[in-house]
Amino acid sequence: MPELLLSAAQGLLAPGTLVFLFGGVVVGLVFGVIPGLGGTTALALLLPLTYGMEVGHAFAMAGGIMGAIAMGGSISAILLNAPGTGPSAATCLDGHPLAKQGRAADAIGAVATASPLGGLFGVLTFLIVLPVARDIVLLFGPPEFFLVAVFGIVTVAISASANLLRGLIAGGVGLMLSFVGYDTVHGGIRFTFGSDYLWDGIPLIPSLVGLFGMAEMIRLSIEGGTVAADAGAVRLDGVWSGIRATLKHWKIVIRGSITGTLIGAIPGVGGTVATFIAYSTTKKADRDPQSFGTGRIEGIIAPESANNAKDSGALMPTLAFGIPGSAEMAVFLGILMLHGMQPGPTIFAEHQQDIYGLILAITLSAVLASVIGISFVRWLAAITLVKGQILAPVVIAVSLVGVYAINLEPGDMVLASVIGVLGYLMLRFDYPRLPLVIALILGETAERGFQQSMMIGQGSWSIFFQSTTSIVLVALIVLSLCWSFVPYLRHRLAEREPTEAS
Amino acid sequence: MSFVRAVALVLVLALVGCGEPAEYPAKDITIVIPMNSGGGFDTYVRALAPGFEQHLPGDANVLPKNLPGAGGRRGATEIFRSRPDGYTIGIFNMPGVLIPQLQGMPISYELSRVTWLATLGYDPYVYAVKGDSPLRSIEDVRALGRTVTYGATGPGSTQFVATNIINARLGIPYDVITGYEGSAGYLLGLIRGDFDVAMISFSAARTYLDSGDIRALAVFGTESDTPDIADAYDLGVPELAELRVVRVMGAPPDLPPDIRATIEAALLAAMDDANFRQWLESTGNEVHPANAVDTAVAVTKMTEFYDQFKDLLD
Repeated sequence: MPELLLSAAQGLLAPGTLVFLFGGVVVGLVFGVIPGLGGTTALALLLPLTYGMEVGHAFAMAGGIMGAIAMGGSISAILLNAPGTGPSAATCLDGHPLAKQGRAADAIGAVATASPLGGLFGVLTFLIVLPVARDIVLLFGPPEFFLVAVFGIVTVAISASANLLRGLIAGGVGLMLSFVGYDTVHGGIRFTFGSDYLWDGIPLIPSLVGLFGMAEMIRLSIEGGTVAADAGAVRLDGVWSGIRATLKHWKIVIRGSITGTLIGAIPGVGGTVATFIAYSTTKKADRDPQSFGTGRIEGIIAPESANNAKDSGALMPTLAFGIPGSAEMAVFLGILMLHGMQPGPTIFAEHQQDIYGLILAITLSAVLASVIGISFVRWLAAITLVKGQILAPVVIAVSLVGVYAINLEPGDMVLASVIGVLGYLMLRFDYPRLPLVIALILGETAERGFQQSMMIGQGSWSIFFQSTTSIVLVALIVLSLCWSFVPYLRHRLAEREPTEAS
Repeated sequence: MSFVRAVALVLVLALVGCGEPAEYPAKDITIVIPMNSGGGFDTYVRALAPGFEQHLPGDANVLPKNLPGAGGRRGATEIFRSRPDGYTIGIFNMPGVLIPQLQGMPISYELSRVTWLATLGYDPYVYAVKGDSPLRSIEDVRALGRTVTYGATGPGSTQFVATNIINARLGIPYDVITGYEGSAGYLLGLIRGDFDVAMISFSAARTYLDSGDIRALAVFGTESDTPDIADAYDLGVPELAELRVVRVMGAPPDLPPDIRATIEAALLAAMDDANFRQWLESTGNEVHPANAVDTAVAVTKMTEFYDQFKDLLD
């Protein structure tokens, strides 16, 4: 294994290959920055080009894109509250408040440190886990998928406990939205109002662009001013403090990376959920959870370390079974197949060196993207000083083009706009958007997992307690629910003994 | 004023466009793929496109375009509604786009009116069990004496329909666990043991058959060449020998015959092209080319075949 890894590294560092890697990084950054466009679109557009390439070159380019997307996506999440990609949406929550306080450079510094560190961690895990990747994937069947989805929803629900009722309402709306379209288990068509467009459900990326980006631009247009509330307070040199903060919070980096790798490996759950769960668990574990969402640097470090770690996780089911762990991986599968690499039981043995080349490319790309991001921080952060009346139309136009480009589907633009208005109303009336997003993503997985489990178990609930994996998941769900009462109990205890509390 | 001028310009251009019979192709040709990039249909089209471009007269580009959505209906509709000028053609998943038509779902295409161009090939169905399953033959499955469970993507999918037809013909009591995502999804379910049997297209099953993760008991849509694996004739259901997924290329209705002939010739030549053959060789894929006339006949036959199983479609 070390020799193969070394020769893969040599292959990657050959000048010819480096050009493709660097090209991938630049494409990844640009596609990441533009809301709506993302790794999936970038890979899909470049897929036909790889037809004539060597495998090594194609993988270097694909790896370059996958590694750089996160950095690009998070830059727009921080500066504009418009996540360039799905997984970067969690970075909006504390990243944008920081930008409003004039500390965009700190936030970008934290992203530039946390995301390659997370990527590195993910790759190390991937290398260690590679021999048993297949068995890990096989641990997850319909009952486990259902429980993972419930766990995701529970994690987010309890972290939003500050206004529990509003969190529940938002989550309920998200669940209802996730049920729109074709019922993949029983085949009925639901809530489509006769429209062909809704047949495939409410698409995630246009929803995210609407809920965060469009909503923020609507707010900016209505309230006026610039993103950074006080132009005088804008610090363009905060990048080093962002880097230092990340290194100081190394525990959060490791926790985020583990979350990213694990959840990234679960098909249908994927990257966006990984970053949101990393965010929610860090918030829950913090001494002062209420301050999250107002610009805590920890609220960036956690999702960002998950953001790059998830790619290594997502590669496992993709390579081992041809089941894409994320939308990007679905396109990447196409690149594999074009080059005659059939995902499945033999791929690790037959193409080990190419796979090593790919993960090295992803890692190197994340580092390169960070260096580029840091060197442009000064100009990037200046965006927060642009007047809303100039910024908003540009961002809205670019977002809509990005959303349209995903599938060349005009309906996606209408949907992004409608959800944008919903997002603005949620902002205005202080409803949390996080539960809505998570419910929208996980609703389908949960429903499908539940229905399939019921069919396999012939209607018996005992199917949820039959495998070790599902018992562990049930335990995790119960523990997180109990854990959520700890602050409440502590509070009650403190009330009972007023002398000690003061 | 400028608006009027723009409209006039568009009209003039349109008239010029109608007037010239000139050389085909005079501009880029789009091949619509009604699936996501990365799937089997997508891979075939993308691998074939360079050769197709080469064998066409002139130097027009061939641009594959993915239009996934609504289970392939969106792409089929797009092809059907395009102008019959030879600049929009596409690949059809048969019987995937045929089933909704037979079910009487609201669709905006008629397969009998499509101008068929060529067949790329077909994919037989493998009747497979888990590698370490004690079941050795369809007789063993029948002898289980209980309801046999199958995995499938969703009601109305080609593989769900194939499962229904086969069990109805073989007289095996069965239940289908639906909701798996794609062939990779239920393959994994089969290996994990979520259900007893799955009908899997051969191309998706191949590597897992080789590795021993799954085992074929029977094959439909082609003749079996090993005694361990039964085919439709061995099982006494010869009418099921045609049960398979077919990849056909088509164009909008009323495509002028000379353009159709040009495209047909280029497609058939592309499938014989050395580069494409090499790609097939290196990836283990197969083609079974057929010309436009044979493709049209095959589509009609397929429609009749599935029509007799109408009540088993959903």
